Amino acid sequence: MDLIWDGVREAVQLLIRGDAAVYDAAMRSLWISSLAVLLAAVTALPCGMLLGRCRFRGRRALLLLCRIGMSFPTVFVGLVCFALFSRRGPLGDLQWLYTPWVIVCGEFLLAFPIIASLSQGAIRSLDPRVGETAWTLGAGLGRRLMTYVSEARVGIMLAILTAFSRCITELGIAMMVGGNLSGRTRTLATATALETGQGDFGRGVAMSLILLVVAAIVTLMIITLSREDEDTEW
Amino acid sequence: MAMISIRQLAVKKQDREICYLPDLRVAEGSRIALVGANGSGKSTLLRVIAGLECDFQGTCEVAANHRDRVYVHQTPYLFRGTVEDNLVYGGKVRGWSQQLLSERCHDWMERFKIQEFARSSALQLSGGERRRVALARAMILEPQLLLLDEPLADLDDQAMEWVAEACRQLADTTIVMASPLSPPDTMGFDELSMLSAREARAKESTAS
Repeated sequence: MDLIWDGVREAVQLLIRGDAAVYDAAMRSLWISSLAVLLAAVTALPCGMLLGRCRFRGRRALLLLCRIGMSFPTVFVGLVCFALFSRRGPLGDLQWLYTPWVIVCGEFLLAFPIIASLSQGAIRSLDPRVGETAWTLGAGLGRRLMTYVSEARVGIMLAILTAFSRCITELGIAMMVGGNLSGRTRTLATATALETGQGDFGRGVAMSLILLVVAAIVTLMIITLSREDEDTEW
Repeated sequence: MAMISIRQLAVKKQDREICYLPDLRVAEGSRIALVGANGSGKSTLLRVIAGLECDFQGTCEVAANHRDRVYVHQTPYLFRGTVEDNLVYGGKVRGWSQQLLSERCHDWMERFKIQEFARSSALQLSGGERRRVALARAMILEPQLLLLDEPLADLDDQAMEWVAEACRQLADTTIVMASPLSPPDTMGFDELSMLSAREARAKESTAS
């Protein structure tokens, strides 16, 4: 118990002092996960809309793939990224392996199916009168899709926050393709694993405390949004 | 000139005929109230005319194009946002100028007495208020054909009078409403009794 208590005390001191290594990893984790989720949201939302509102060949297969993708182990995604970006891989010429960009790509692959599946569910579960009302008021397809997004915005925000929460706390991708290089690819999750492994328990606790605070903020936002959605049910 | 021409219209759901109408012609500018018991197919008929129900047999020709026929649900759906956001939805879709939008909005809010909660969230309205907003949202477009599914439900006598007055203002619009009871005489609607599909089939076979 003393070990944990000492670790927490040291962590608080490191955070108050503004330890460069801790804040460097924290900032890197934030921008990598934010960029990955932003890119995933931009591409997965239209996919979720199509899956939720349009009928086309292969829709079920695509939906199934997205659902399966939600539970992909991070080490599997890391493995795929490694195969893609290693020197002999199809994207090896980019020389992104062991750079933050390859972690962004991996987290994008992690976030995409979550956002596509959950936003599809949010749009699919909308009242059928939403589309009918928009249509009868003269809205074309583009405007109707925008209306679906607007009406399902709480569910879509939940999807994005859930994806962010998964990305910022993931370890497998950052470790496998990022390499945990100090000052370059070290994230909060990999730094926590490394510092704890090296016996610097205080630093490890400091890193995980920041991770915990970010995850707690995201979870609180999810809970608040879920409540708002329940309160506004018709 | 007929706004709506229907011949031998039949709608089936899971092998059950839920609406049958041998013949109907509605002239432009007329006001028709489809009066019938629950399950007589009034709502289905309105949905077919609106273009929301496409799986039917027979013919249904409507002179007004998609953007000129507006349907109001039996239980209207209001979009998230304010009452005003809902009112301007159709106008924005049509690319109206800001001036036209605010003029029409002001005008129709006054007719349905909804100015006082114009900035309120549409989710917080009572049933009657919601219906008035939905009617105003449809009427603000002044379409050629207006299809109202039980528009007087949830409304008190005063609100019914506002609806009647609003219908009178839309002199050029053909209005078809569905109602389980006869609408008040002041609304000036011609009544058309709506029989259930089974009754309509039986009547037709007796006549032939």
